[in-house]
Amino acid sequence: MNGIDGMENYNYIVSGLERSGTSMMMQILHKGGMPVAFDSSRPPNEYNPKGYYELEKGKIINKLMDGTFPMKKYRGRFTKITAYGLKFLHYGRYKIVYMVRNLDEIMNSMEKILFDKLNRFAIGLMEERKDMGYIIINYNDVIKNPEGEIKKLNEFLDGRLDVDSAVKAVDPKLYRNVREKL
Amino acid sequence: MAEEYNLSIPASLAKKIKERIEGTGFDSISSYVTYVLRELLAEDEKENELTKEDEEKIKERLRALGYLD
Repeated sequence: MNGIDGMENYNYIVSGLERSGTSMMMQILHKGGMPVAFDSSRPPNEYNPKGYYELEKGKIINKLMDGTFPMKKYRGRFTKITAYGLKFLHYGRYKIVYMVRNLDEIMNSMEKILFDKLNRFAIGLMEERKDMGYIIINYNDVIKNPEGEIKKLNEFLDGRLDVDSAVKAVDPKLYRNVREKL
Repeated sequence: MAEEYNLSIPASLAKKIKERIEGTGFDSISSYVTYVLRELLAEDEKENELTKEDEEKIKERLRALGYLD
């Protein structure tokens, strides 16, 4: 029961660094008619007024690390697994939407060096692994040109996305520099 | 012979290096500094690798953000 024909053979993942727009991407996919897996364990807050769209309070990484996350159960649906979690994915069939964002907006310079490295690690991993297909979407580009970026995303998803509805999930008012709040 | 550049380092640091290399295979402060810099650059060039230290820092941040127990 995964919703859309042809999607059941893959685990679909939204990934990226924390605060890089992964929740926004989950909202885009949800509005655009894609099956997304989330629960209400992490309520919306000032950083994510529209909600986190996460499972297990966002603590999937713990379960991935100890091998108890039921990946098979979520085939055919999008789940949010942040960048570091990709390291613990067992061999499978994955399609990954990887979010990047101008790190100056969300981190100080010391953190930036480390998390830029994590981005490179995650992208290198997806590039190396034959069981992972991926697209990189830039948060800042989505804010500037939602329709153009969501059309690119739709190509990656073999045209399954309702682009017009998905675009409505992008709320430029939520675009903000969160660094000061961290 | 490869072209060489001279660098300046604080005298206090040079003193520490001199003490450090006593009895080792390094015959000068320059050869030690060259070795250390090469190692440092090689480490930096491993673009797609996370060191244990990197991973610990990443985990720390994930814990602070509530993404990891």
